[in-house]
Order: sequence, then structure tokens, then C-alpha cells
Amino acid sequence: MAKIELKNLSKTYNKKIEALHDINFTIEDGQFFVLLGPSGAGKTTTLRCIAGLEKIDNGSILFNDEAVTEDQPASRDVCFVFQQYSLYPHYSVYENLAFPLRSPMRKLPEGEIKTKVENIASMLKISNKLNNKATQLSGGEMQRVAIGRALVREPNLYLMDEPLSSLDAKLRESLRVELKNIQTNLNATILYVTHDQAEATTLADKIGVLKEGHLVQIGTPEEIYENPNSIYVSQRLGSPKINILPGTLLGMDDVPTFGIRPENITIGNGNHSAKIISIENLGSETVVALNFKDQEILVSIQGNYKSSINETINFDINNEKVLKFDQEGKRIYER
Amino acid sequence: MDTSRSYLEPSSFSKKLAATIIIVYTVITLIPISWMVMTSFKNVNSAISYPPEVLFEPSLEGYVNLFTNRSRQSQEYLDSLPAPETWYEELVRSREMVITGPSKFLGRYSNSMIIGFGSTFASVFLGALAAYAFSRFRVPLKDDLLFFILSTRMFPPIAVAVPIFIMYRKLGLGDTHLGMIILYTVVNLSLAVWLLKGFMDEIPKEYEEAAMIDGYSRLQAFFKVVLPQAMTGIAATAIFCMIFSWNEYAFAVLLTQFNAQTAPPFIPTIIGEGGLDWPAIGAGTTLFLLPVMIFTIILRKHLLRGITFGAVRK
Repeated sequence: MAKIELKNLSKTYNKKIEALHDINFTIEDGQFFVLLGPSGAGKTTTLRCIAGLEKIDNGSILFNDEAVTEDQPASRDVCFVFQQYSLYPHYSVYENLAFPLRSPMRKLPEGEIKTKVENIASMLKISNKLNNKATQLSGGEMQRVAIGRALVREPNLYLMDEPLSSLDAKLRESLRVELKNIQTNLNATILYVTHDQAEATTLADKIGVLKEGHLVQIGTPEEIYENPNSIYVSQRLGSPKINILPGTLLGMDDVPTFGIRPENITIGNGNHSAKIISIENLGSETVVALNFKDQEILVSIQGNYKSSINETINFDINNEKVLKFDQEGKRIYER
Repeated sequence: MDTSRSYLEPSSFSKKLAATIIIVYTVITLIPISWMVMTSFKNVNSAISYPPEVLFEPSLEGYVNLFTNRSRQSQEYLDSLPAPETWYEELVRSREMVITGPSKFLGRYSNSMIIGFGSTFASVFLGALAAYAFSRFRVPLKDDLLFFILSTRMFPPIAVAVPIFIMYRKLGLGDTHLGMIILYTVVNLSLAVWLLKGFMDEIPKEYEEAAMIDGYSRLQAFFKVVLPQAMTGIAATAIFCMIFSWNEYAFAVLLTQFNAQTAPPFIPTIIGEGGLDWPAIGAGTTLFLLPVMIFTIILRKHLLRGITFGAVRK
């Protein structure tokens, strides 16, 4: 495994569309780094640049302090799990898993290939499918084989491009747990791309938030959640979504906007009163939407909440948790 | 009333109609071919008898005549010869002739094989490489180049026969295998590039990218991952190229005489006693039909596999 550094990385498509702008970050050896952002933010482009599938315009990529910017994909020794089109359809599962080991760059003896493939297959619980054609697998099995094809070798870095997004919710959750366990056991360096916040927070050691080709914030999941540097970042994490409201609502005339997360509002007593618009019981929590001076505010309450729509209730905002933002949506830090 | 079928499935009436049309078409198509095969097993007299004989005593005379050169001899001379050693010698003697040696057919036939398969392989191989490049790389003036390649088929190839004839004579390519392979490859290449480009476009580039990350060069990825998945297109292209170069007549007449002459210009020159030897011509065309038929049957399973093309969800 290796330490990965990106320095001033820029990439423009067709000399017009700027995909990445001056990207800088470091992935420590053994770190699980997640790139978070909506589609079109440049997540996949970043992965493709690191893998060597795209030529970069500016900057450099370093593996263990050595520049690989000009190297061919094969010689960079990274693994890539694609979002789709992941398996070679004309090969069996076994051949798919053995394919990277058969590369002329490695030339492992057949016995060693067999052991490695069988180990990975039993780890991913696909041992009984080894002789199947790749076309005869279900979506979940296909993606597990694709992850297996990456895990079968020990590369500098694993690149994963929304590997779980094409799976159904249940499978996604179980594979997510599996993936985290595997990463911890192998102490693997992983760069993982997703727009799913649950994946980002559960998997990541560090999160990088991308916005239109700019890397706007890097931090641990807690830092990104508790201490976002802009409205954009604050909206990436948290469900239900953070409330973004005009400052005048709380009498803060010098603050254009502020954000407050739904769990930092309490209902029952307090010095504000509002009408209930809707109540959504999710089992372990209840999401209540309030109408406060014609603004909708979401409140999340632990457990069940009994009340009725159109009822007027009092609520309180935890002032310590209020995040203030300026005109451009940048965070205003208290001095 | 049968209500169990789905709305998407054709009705049993339209299925029957389709089957009837196909059967009628097949029968019409097969009549000349079966007549040709029948003629090859007739003797010279029954081949030209009127009314035509549908039931006849089969004979291998046509095939014997196709493969041998014979000369007519007097009965006294034939009687003076030792008894015939083989069945075909006996057959020829009964027609008051002796075998003077093998005919040129086998040589012409193998010329057809060499030139047909050689040019098919070259067209498909070069076509696949060009199609891949057009499909994946940013080629300057890509659309113009593709149009130029297509435009080489906008006139009948024979229209340029005279310049090619002169060119081939100057280059010493006339009446050579290499010359004919190059010529047929050039004619077929535009078709191959266009057909294969369509198939290459269908193959997601993620496959070869995955292979390149897995430690293969682009060329290795092309052979290991792209080509196997383009099998359907390659099979279809190969069949088209093979049929063209196998059947081509005009250039073969013009450019080949001895060394590299193919079967199509040779077969009509088979002359028997007192006119055309129809059983021998029937035998020649029947044998000539076989390689293309076998080739198509072998590749057919790849054509059918095209239906299940692609292992991944789109």
C-alpha cells in the first residue's frame, strides 16, 4: 500500500469544460478516503486521473513521494472498481478473478493464482460460483466479483467508483459493512467515490467534498458534519437535511443565512412557537415539519412523537449549534 | 379463444404466415442449387436430355471428368491396354477414353482457398484495428476519413479495372496470390471497417480500461478483452468478405491466367466432348459451394450469440 498525494491537479475536457480545478489532497497509507459530491462534481474524473485513464493538464500525482503522472495505467499498480460494466463477460468468475494475476507484468505461477482466487472467493462468499460465466450472476454477485478482482492483488491503491450504487438497499448495507471490515483487515488504502452520505460517513476515515471541480473541504466525517465551511458542505451530510434559514428569523440582522440541524431543535417548550405541517414517524425517530414565520423547519425527535397537524407548539433552537453563513454561503466563524 | 398469449407475442396466424413465406422462399432458392447438385451426379446424356430427368441413375462421371484430362482412343488401342486398375479408369474406358493426367481444377480450387481465406483474414484483422482506432481514439478528421473509406465502395470495383491492370503489371503483382489477396482486401476493407466500428462502439470502454488497470497494455487489452466480445461482428464481417472474394469473377478473369487463377474463371472453361460437359461443371460448382457453406455454418453460432451480447446492466 502507498501514500497518495495530489498536487495542483487540473483537468479540462476539450479545452473548454473545466472538470477539476487545482485539487490538492493526501491519502495516508491505510486510509479510507471518500470523495463526496453530486454527479458532475468531478469525483469520477479524479479517480480516472489517478488511475492514468485520463491525461491531466496540470499538477502532479505522487505514490509514496514518487511522481507517476506520466506512467501508463498498468505500471501504476492501482485497482479500479467501476460502477458498472465491471466483469469480462466472456470469462468465468474464476477467469475474471485470475485475470489481473495473469498480466504479463506479474506472471504468477498457476498454483499461486489458484490459491489467491480461492481465498478471495471464500472471503466474498462466491466460492460456489467460480465456474459460472460472468453473465450468469445476479447484480450483487457481479459487484462482489468486481470487488474481488480488485482485492486479489495488493496494489498501491484501490479506487472505487460508486461500487455499491447499482445494488438494492439491503445488499448495499451488507456489502458496505463487509468492505469496511476487509479494509481494516488488509490495512488497505482506498479512495472511494460516492454521492451517498451514509456510505461516506460509515466508511470514511476522511472525506473530501467536491463542488464543480473544486475540492471545498477535507476532514473527518465528524468535522464535515459538525463544522462545515459552507452551506454546500453542510448540505452534503445529515438526514433529514440541515435547515437553512434567513438570519432575520432569529433576529440576527448581520447574518444573511444560518443553518441548524434538525436534531438540535427541541419541541415542547421554548421561546418560539410554530404550527406543525407534517409528522413523519420513522420508527427510531420522528421528523416533524414546522411552519415558523412562513419558513419550513424540520425537527428530528428521538422515538415517537404524539401530536396532530396544524397544532401550534413551542420549540427551542440550540444556539451553540447554529452555523452562520455569509452572503456567498461561506461560513462566518465566531471570534 | 386462446387468451393466454401475451400482447407482445405474434398471433398464431401471423406465425403460420411467416413460416409459409419462409418455406416457399427456401424452396424457390433451393431449386437451382439442388438442380446443380443433381446435374453433377448425372452422366453427359441424361444431363441434357429433354424432358429433364428428375429420377436418374447416379454416376460419378462428372467428378471424374472434373479432376482429369482425357483423350478419346480407338477401340483397338483400348483393347491393347492392360485391364484398368481403378474404378475411375474403368469409367473413362467405358466412354472410349483414357486418362492422360490430372486436370487443373485442384490447383485452381486451392488458389481460391488461399486467396479467399487470406483476404478475409487480412480484411477482418486490418478492419478490426482501424475500427477500434476510429471507435476509441480522437482521430483528426475522423468523419471525413470514415466517409472517404465508405466512398471507395460508391463505384463498382470493376470501374477501376484498367488502372489496376496496368498498375499490377508494372508492380509484378499480376497473376500472383499476393496481388489478388491485396486487391480483395482493399475492396472488402471499407465494409469491414464500417461494420466492425458499429460493433466496437457497442463495447463499453470500461472493459479495456479495467484490463489496462489490471496490468495489460492497450494492445493486449484489445486482443484479450475487446476482440472476444466483438466475435459477433467479426463473424458477420468475415462471412461477407469471404463470400465476396470467393465469388469474385471479373478481376479474377482479368488479372489471373495460370499461377493464381481462382476457381470461378476456371469452371466455365471445362469443355467436354462435343460441347460443355455439364456434369463436370455441376461437380465443380457443387464443390465450389461447399467451403463458403461450411464457413458460414461454423460462424453461425457466433452470429446467434449476438442476441445475448453484453453481460452488464445498462
